[in-house]
Amino acid sequence: MQQITFKIEGGEDVVAYALEGENLLEVARKVNVAIDAPCSGNGSCGKCRVRLASGNLVCPPNRHISDEESKEGWILACEAAVGSEDIVIEVPDIASAYRSRMKIADLSDKREAEIFENIKNSIFSTGIGMGTGLKKIYVELIPPSLDDPMADIERVGNAIEEKTGTPVKLEYFALKKLPNIIRESDFSFCCLIKQEEGCSVLLDLWDEHDDHPIFGLAMDIGTTTVSAVIVDIETGEIISKASSGNGQVRYGADIINRIVEATKKGGLEKLQKAVIEETIIPIIDTMCVSTEIRNEWIYTVCITANTTMNHLLLGIYPDYIRKEPYVPTFMELTGIKASDISINTYPGADIILAPNIGSYVGGDITAGTLSSMMWNDSEFSLFIDLGTNGEIVFGNCDFLVGCACSAGPAFEGGDISCGMRATDGAIESVQIDSETLEPTFGIIGPKGQKPIGLCGSGLIDCVAEMARAGIINPAGKIIADGKRIKQSEHGTKSYVLAFREDTGGTKDIELTEIDLDNFIRAKGAIFSAIKTMLEALDFDLNVISRVIIAGGIGSGINIDNSIRIGMLPDINRKCYTYIGNSSLAGAYAMLISDEASQKVMELARNMTYMDLSSNPYYMDEFVSACFIPHTNMEYFPSLREEIENETRKPQSSDIQPGKQRG
Amino acid sequence: MPFKKPVQKFNAAINAVELGVGEKKIVLGGQNVMPFYTFDNAIENPPRIGVEISDLGFEDQVPGIRDFYAGCKTVADMAKKAAELEDVDFVCIRLDSADPNGENAPVADCVETARAVSEAIDKPLVIIGCDNDEKDAQLFEKVADALQGKNALYLSAKEENYKSIAAAVGLAYGQKVGAESSVDLNLAKQLNVLISQIGVDAKNIVMNIGTAASGYGFEYVISTLDRVNSAALSQNDAMLQMPIITPVSSETWAVKESTATEEDMPQWGSAETRGISMEVTTAVAVLASGSSAVILRHPTSIKTVAKLIKELI
Repeated sequence: MQQITFKIEGGEDVVAYALEGENLLEVARKVNVAIDAPCSGNGSCGKCRVRLASGNLVCPPNRHISDEESKEGWILACEAAVGSEDIVIEVPDIASAYRSRMKIADLSDKREAEIFENIKNSIFSTGIGMGTGLKKIYVELIPPSLDDPMADIERVGNAIEEKTGTPVKLEYFALKKLPNIIRESDFSFCCLIKQEEGCSVLLDLWDEHDDHPIFGLAMDIGTTTVSAVIVDIETGEIISKASSGNGQVRYGADIINRIVEATKKGGLEKLQKAVIEETIIPIIDTMCVSTEIRNEWIYTVCITANTTMNHLLLGIYPDYIRKEPYVPTFMELTGIKASDISINTYPGADIILAPNIGSYVGGDITAGTLSSMMWNDSEFSLFIDLGTNGEIVFGNCDFLVGCACSAGPAFEGGDISCGMRATDGAIESVQIDSETLEPTFGIIGPKGQKPIGLCGSGLIDCVAEMARAGIINPAGKIIADGKRIKQSEHGTKSYVLAFREDTGGTKDIELTEIDLDNFIRAKGAIFSAIKTMLEALDFDLNVISRVIIAGGIGSGINIDNSIRIGMLPDINRKCYTYIGNSSLAGAYAMLISDEASQKVMELARNMTYMDLSSNPYYMDEFVSACFIPHTNMEYFPSLREEIENETRKPQSSDIQPGKQRG
Repeated sequence: MPFKKPVQKFNAAINAVELGVGEKKIVLGGQNVMPFYTFDNAIENPPRIGVEISDLGFEDQVPGIRDFYAGCKTVADMAKKAAELEDVDFVCIRLDSADPNGENAPVADCVETARAVSEAIDKPLVIIGCDNDEKDAQLFEKVADALQGKNALYLSAKEENYKSIAAAVGLAYGQKVGAESSVDLNLAKQLNVLISQIGVDAKNIVMNIGTAASGYGFEYVISTLDRVNSAALSQNDAMLQMPIITPVSSETWAVKESTATEEDMPQWGSAETRGISMEVTTAVAVLASGSSAVILRHPTSIKTVAKLIKELI
């Protein structure tokens, strides 16, 4: 048995023991050393780079590691097997970045709360009322005596029935507290009642002097990121907000890889554990500690998640989601309690799940649709959630159609050699000088932060700028020369955004032609989905009067650049609005208003699910959209006009006959 | 009510692209009606037929072709013989010897062959490469230089090598660029955009949108041709208005209907007749779907297809 020491950059050392031949990534996972492996360890993504500091192990050469890097000891953890001696492995910080360190939002910053406030106001302005079935009742009892020896439960029951007019049932949690609370409070205490049809359920009771608000938890479980708010259910006030990476990420970046992982032996339990124990419970604990709230004061939980995520959360076998005819186990689901899946809130807390409408359009989208307000508008809106999957809803107050397209993880950093999530060190905006081809960046993080990689919004900017500066042709091939253009031994060219010495990482930050291919397919998937959906309804792009963008990528997204690369429809830029995490906002509304929950159920029942994979025109639209900006310029009238206005100048200067091909 | 004949004449037309020089030069395309719809409007330039020869000769070919070229000592002799066929509008020389996986003949030798062929004939010339992207790029650049002023067509520039081919053939030496894509309307259009962006005039581009022998996924070829033609005419899509040339023979003479010997397939009858049938069937179908030119090998096929065109136009 060999000793494996993981030296984690910016963290503590972790020691593990393994047998000869064991896979290094598996060993790391066993001891909870976070190594990013979006491809789930099949050697294709090249993200699980670690450095062998001492000792020896068995590791085949890999195209992601250059000879030079190999000499320095860099290896892919998923390809390496433990050898016959003890080893020391250095895990660079970037590899752990997927955890994207849990972040508690600063609510004193008005913008954070404003998003929720705005959505609350617009939803409730339509006549939907606030209020849930939970209410506090203050009770005063005549103390028992030898003449009046009625049991506590009847005594409390009668007092509550007098106020609510319905018979009372007790939750076990309340029953256990009952004898002491009523006596310690001198028979004057507060009851938390959930009004159900024909009965009132006593959830909890406490001394009037220790009164506290009723809290609820709204949570959006994304494929990549989980974010949550704790809310005072009666007032709607946001008490705390936090987000963290989804612990399942190390089992695969996208839902298909997760589903595959879940079908392996013990995989389902592993994935459920990764999201509940490693993600949800720590988020709730951190929020509760920072706001001095007790976990059991959270009486309702509302969760919005895509279909795969809500299946995995509940530990439901998800394989049928990805297999024809793509049927999920549930759409609408009620009756699940927090204790069923061991979430650390009030154990009997109802878990409200936003309903799914199909295999690839889930509760995050139905809740997001509520936040988008498109259902209250007679004009046509397009709602786009740019996440690991791109989901699109089109319609107005009369009808809604939803579809999903497999944009892939490019917008969240996957599938791109220098890609990363939008955390510290991520380049989030790019400009390129068309003369010198020198780039300038906006980087997330404190002043002086060195760039580590490119996040979604930076990627969109970068491709748009490369096209504008003439570095790439419309097919995404690099056609310029210069010191920033590199060529690999296989002939693949790349554009260097930052040379190794200027970065906070271990290699050049560069965008290769393979990355460009992946990106073009991702943006093509989004645009072709929009086009196919509208085409199926016999509408033109110009019927869209509003485009609502949601999702984690969106905050810094440059709309004009997104149109220039042909990802979003070429309509007036003013028609675009960004609403942030619409799914979490929808969960928030559902938490504080039963009527809003009902509205989401109604929206889901009325929304038509369109399966693009079975649409014969989709593939055609897709190929046509895999070009910058598009094969059919008539879909991009303002760009076409711009090109036509430019005086035609042939770019023959750099391609003279006789010159060797690069 | 008297019958009024509807006329389907479009406001857009396929580009008219000139090939060759002098008396025997030809024009591909130019029509603004559906294929062979002479009742809607006159078709000035009927579909053209090219004859294909290889610089490797036709040693292994069917008797009809072998006999036709009997006595030819050089490729130029073959070209001369081929060009003499009455129904042939242009000659295609396939520089198979250049293939790095085959004979790997040096570029200079191929240039010599092309020059000799060009000097031996007065009909327009089409240069076909060896289907190796890199070699073709080197080859076409030199051949185009050697054949300056001949206004030849080069098959083909693909997405992988269009840059150097289009720059040399289309820009530097002012000849015609063949843009080859793989049976997809969007890919065909994308390549035309890329080549145009280098600065090559759309009027100097001819498309080869890819083909197959009939029966080999051929319906996809036909529907692509249909759609390209329809986008060019009814939607006036300038990036799809290039005339289409379809190399038929290289496909049809390679499938088992043409290659299976009579010993192996006695019930199928004469191998040569089968080969001709495949060539004619495929050619006629692509012409009927909008191809402006076809490339054939067998003299009988050429005669048959030419007769069909004459009868219809």
